[in-house]
Amino acid sequence: MIGVLRMQQTCKRKVWTQISIALMAALWMVNAQAELLIKVTEGRVDAVPIAVVPFDGAQNAPEDVSEIIQADLHRSGQFKPLPAEDMLSRPRNEQEMIYRDFKVLGTEYVITGSMKRQETGGYEVSYALFDVARQKKLMSETYRPPESQLRDVAHAISDRIYEQLTGIPGAFSTKILYVTHNRHDSNPYQLQYADADGHRVTTILRSKEPIMSPTWSPDGRKIAYVSFEDQGRPAIYIHSLATTEREKVSSFSGINGAPDWSPDGQKLALTLSRDGNPEIYMLNLSTKGLTRLTNNYGIDTEPRWLPDGEHLVFTSSRSGGPQIYKLNINDKSVRRVSFQGAYNARSDVTPDGRYLVYVHRRNGNFNVGVQDLQRGTFNIVTRTDMDESPSVAPNGSMVIYGTQHGGTGVLEAVSIDGRVKVELPSKEGEVREPAWSPFL
Amino acid sequence: MRSLLNPLFAIVLAAALAACSSTPTEDDSSATDNMSQQTDTSPVTPVEPSEPVKPDTSSIPLTADNFYNHPSNYDGTTDSRVIYFAFDSNTVPAAAFETLRAHATYLKNNANAKIRLEGHADERGTREYNVALSERRSKAVEKFLRVQGVASSQLEIVSYGEEKPAAFGHGEMDWAKNRRVEINYLSGRP
Repeated sequence: MIGVLRMQQTCKRKVWTQISIALMAALWMVNAQAELLIKVTEGRVDAVPIAVVPFDGAQNAPEDVSEIIQADLHRSGQFKPLPAEDMLSRPRNEQEMIYRDFKVLGTEYVITGSMKRQETGGYEVSYALFDVARQKKLMSETYRPPESQLRDVAHAISDRIYEQLTGIPGAFSTKILYVTHNRHDSNPYQLQYADADGHRVTTILRSKEPIMSPTWSPDGRKIAYVSFEDQGRPAIYIHSLATTEREKVSSFSGINGAPDWSPDGQKLALTLSRDGNPEIYMLNLSTKGLTRLTNNYGIDTEPRWLPDGEHLVFTSSRSGGPQIYKLNINDKSVRRVSFQGAYNARSDVTPDGRYLVYVHRRNGNFNVGVQDLQRGTFNIVTRTDMDESPSVAPNGSMVIYGTQHGGTGVLEAVSIDGRVKVELPSKEGEVREPAWSPFL
Repeated sequence: MRSLLNPLFAIVLAAALAACSSTPTEDDSSATDNMSQQTDTSPVTPVEPSEPVKPDTSSIPLTADNFYNHPSNYDGTTDSRVIYFAFDSNTVPAAAFETLRAHATYLKNNANAKIRLEGHADERGTREYNVALSERRSKAVEKFLRVQGVASSQLEIVSYGEEKPAAFGHGEMDWAKNRRVEINYLSGRP
């Protein structure tokens, strides 16, 4: 039986520039789907106290931009927002700013702003960021988005503030791609994506058969995944998010799995067992030429490109249990990278190439571990069990992964240093295999 | 075939399992090392098809690993369509030999019959690695059938890893039920 597929959602992409910031355009969700609710379970002890004063005019707007900014900053774990009810004054702009009202509360930064409905339909959103200790305005900007893009503007402002205060680009405007499973649904397997804060869920594919290993193209316009929709047999598809056009790029006999895009977007690394054993191959997407990269009697799978485009890391059982290896694509030489414990698999790498994150088994528990390739250190950064599919944010700050709460698959995120933890429980069904988008 | 498990036996088993309830966490290196070595260096060598001998089931230890592989779970005919595997193992269980020989005989006598061997793993470990592990189970069954003389054109392998569990719980018993190869007749079903 062929899995029933339904492309839902046309997703329109417009580039809208204001103050040199390009924003991804609106992805309209008409029917309310299960959104991911986000809860910060562990923040940094030294999180920076910040006050996001409720924006003037936000109460009557369809989206409260100040509330979204506050939630973004809180979710990063780097900031500790001051509850609005604790504020001694609520300035709307620089003129109304009374620094000592925030200084006495220990607040280091203050964000003020306003939302004004425009005659033309959209909104004018202004904000300003203040440094309390130096009693100085650090930045201020104005955006004029249509109503449908208020959330995009809120995330863009969060990105700007985060970068101004930490020196690292914010990743609040990014998206998370994931697989859901609800066995009581007529199409139990679904591929969806949502904003990084769990809002605005879009369903890309529904199927009666499993969907696995979703991954983004480097430009964020396409995704690749494994779907068993064709009579239960696995195939790798490339799916354009804007047009919903799909192309089946790999359907060999045996395993077609674990796709991962090269940094230049020209090639796909993947696992095939067409020659009798799971091996890593490289598929040139324009010529469709296939190059076999590994040749070993063990299992070779789960390839991930390193940022240099010349190397891959992958999981191999060539020395017994699964371990992480690094492969040079040019000379096909292979070097073992992971040495702690007997089970290390499914690695991802930070954008700077410095850290590897992967699933590590210890005392029968599966956790996410971070290996510093420069210093050689290895740390387990989660305390749950059954953790899988870690995926690094494009700014390298957080890792999102699948785990189980009370037997149900949920997503969690943890900072690379393990100090910040965020839960993203879904309201219904299982959520798994998250893939964090590149900067969009 | 599930009904073949007599209720009293099930109760005794359940009790025995409860007694050893603290989930035995596998000794990592030994388990996995063992596994891939078996895979790679000592291919499955099924017993020569002589006259079938009913195994003595009385002395088989009661663990989750062999609960589903208890000989009473296989009826030795083509009606049995699921082969269960021990943890981290792709060794075809002896309890399933007779059943697999029945399938082999049927396939040899019915050239139009085609089967798909659908390999599955339990939920522990990463998904794509589990797909690869489950393929090894299907291949072990395939090899068994090939040795019995089944034509390769009658066999197909699909590997689902942990994506299509038969049991949805998260304990030893559910895992044992999920480590399996399902024999799916695509055509010429007996």
